Amino acid sequence: MNENGKAPAGKVLDAILHLLDRQIKDTEGLVVSVVDDLEISLPDDGRTLDADAEAPMLTNLLMGPTLATRLFGGQPPPERMMRIPWSDVARVGTVLELRNRAEGLPVRWVEHWLRDHVIARIPGGRHDPE
Amino acid sequence: MILSDLLGSEVRDAQGQKVGLVADARFALNGPVRGSGSVAGARMIGLVVGRHGASRRMGYERRDVNRPWPLAQILGRRDRGSFLVLWPDIESVRPGQVVLRNGFTRHDASL
Repeated sequence: MNENGKAPAGKVLDAILHLLDRQIKDTEGLVVSVVDDLEISLPDDGRTLDADAEAPMLTNLLMGPTLATRLFGGQPPPERMMRIPWSDVARVGTVLELRNRAEGLPVRWVEHWLRDHVIARIPGGRHDPE
Repeated sequence: MILSDLLGSEVRDAQGQKVGLVADARFALNGPVRGSGSVAGARMIGLVVGRHGASRRMGYERRDVNRPWPLAQILGRRDRGSFLVLWPDIESVRPGQVVLRNGFTRHDASL
């Protein structure tokens, strides 16, 4: 529905229904993370918005340490969240598919750290099983 | 703005009367495409306002999802009175509170 009473152009998404908690996969099908939150280009300082202004855009998918805040309430500070720009998303379906590989994304640093500092020290941890 | 700051916020009309809580944010994939192979930009259409705030509706907000019948009835009753308010009808936003413009329109919130 738009201001003319017509359905808007393009696929319509509700944030909770279609985006939050969805898995994010890279081009090779590797699970990168899940969507914990979203960032929108909407001013949140309570100023009066211009009725003719462009509608805000969804700018980033946010991932972060949300387990504790889901159990005990509140939310992690925005600066602790890791971001994937919406422009990196290639397809929105039951999962969100990215248009690049997960290797260069900051969201996998925990996995990389464990690989380099823990798994690599276990005998046989540096190569595929034979 | 972070979406979770918006979800569950009180929605008030221009006279200060509470009309509900932010239940969801609706977007349309009709913005500019930034980069090859990228999905279109997600432009905000508006906010879904309901009595209960942000909650999982298990897909029953879709017009054609109505089975199993008892569940559809229960969730439909729970979400009765929900409406979609379009972006041009939003006057101001801050965490915890959304104010709508005078004479805003309540649109059908079903998908």
